[in-house]
Amino acid sequence: MTEEQVDEVLQKAAAAAPQVDPALLKRIAESLNSSLRPVRPLPPTWVLTAGLAVICTTVAAAAAARAGFYGLEKLSLLERLAIFSTLGILVWVAGTQFVGRLIPASRRQLTASTFLIISIVALLGVFALVFRDYRTDHFIAAGIVCLLTGLLMAIPAALLSWALLRRGFALNPVAAGLVGGALAGLSGVTMLELHCANFQTLHVLVWHTAVVPVSAAAGALVGYVLRRYSTPT
Amino acid sequence: MDTDRKPETLMARYQAGDFTAVTALVESIGPQLHRFFMTQCASRSDADDLLQDTWLRIHRVRHTYRPGEPVLPWFYAIARRVRIDYYRKASRTTARERRLEDVSNVAAALPREEAHVDDLEMLLAPLSESQREVLRMMKVAGMSLEEVARATASSVGSVKQKVHRAYRTLRESMNAMRTKQGPSRVLP
Repeated sequence: MTEEQVDEVLQKAAAAAPQVDPALLKRIAESLNSSLRPVRPLPPTWVLTAGLAVICTTVAAAAAARAGFYGLEKLSLLERLAIFSTLGILVWVAGTQFVGRLIPASRRQLTASTFLIISIVALLGVFALVFRDYRTDHFIAAGIVCLLTGLLMAIPAALLSWALLRRGFALNPVAAGLVGGALAGLSGVTMLELHCANFQTLHVLVWHTAVVPVSAAAGALVGYVLRRYSTPT
Repeated sequence: MDTDRKPETLMARYQAGDFTAVTALVESIGPQLHRFFMTQCASRSDADDLLQDTWLRIHRVRHTYRPGEPVLPWFYAIARRVRIDYYRKASRTTARERRLEDVSNVAAALPREEAHVDDLEMLLAPLSESQREVLRMMKVAGMSLEEVARATASSVGSVKQKVHRAYRTLRESMNAMRTKQGPSRVLP
């Protein structure tokens, strides 16, 4: 049998479709019409991504301005460039990934877990390159303070990002939550890099980077809860 | 197809709040989506429920459709997700009921009123679920490779590979059927 013959058989079988009850279609159309009002289509992806980037940067900068730019002041120009350009790229990629999860059938994206792994590896790489102080003074005590501060800063970033993209996410809220959480976590890391003057390699590698996966996990959990309690079927 | 009746045009009018566009869209896409659900081991009442849920979700997120983009992948991506959520919830409910009733022998994990197997499903039976899904979208909905790739959040290459493998399996199974039944027997 040739491919064309197989195709013909499939076409014929597909054409013999069982009928849907017209009353059901009428009921659906009536129910949609009863709550119909005009909606404005979403702006282009880059506009939404830029909005998310502005939110994350503003939250990080505002928090650091309040707490003090001690980290930024201690960094050399080259170190600043390496750290903040990496964070900028990651925030932009996270933004496009987050927006992509809002729109059904948008162009192919990285999976949420792949994106998270790439973000963590990129952060670990740049931090390992920049910070060369291998002491571990007050590792746990100082680390927990930084982790909590980063996570605390991730909360407003996540809420504002969610507010910008609300009324969407028809597909997979867990994956969307994970990417959104990672984006908010990157805002927290940006704040820490601006503020924290503890340049011990292990401190930055462990506690600063940890903000991203912990925040992503929290986002995924929120997505899971939303999915569990909002599925209409 | 008449430009005014094109799903993309109807969808744009739906976003603008046009009542007639909603009805036309439900009437043109509804049967396809219903068929999509019917062919996946669901009973007719399950398929009806899934169709209604899909339209509710479409209604809720209609602003996420971008005018000018192909609309079928957008519909199918949502339909696919509704189906996944439905089965996830159904299996959870079944598991809970099983615990409560302490049933030792449960025949099926999912509710199924009637065994609906039509010609297309019979033909697609030897394929994996992902291959069946791709072929259904292409043959029932008439979607292109690019559109199927977008609806299933995969690459065109991966869809092509699935189609290629599916056709190879189908060719083999159809040849085997022919050999068994003799040359005079016509396949559905």
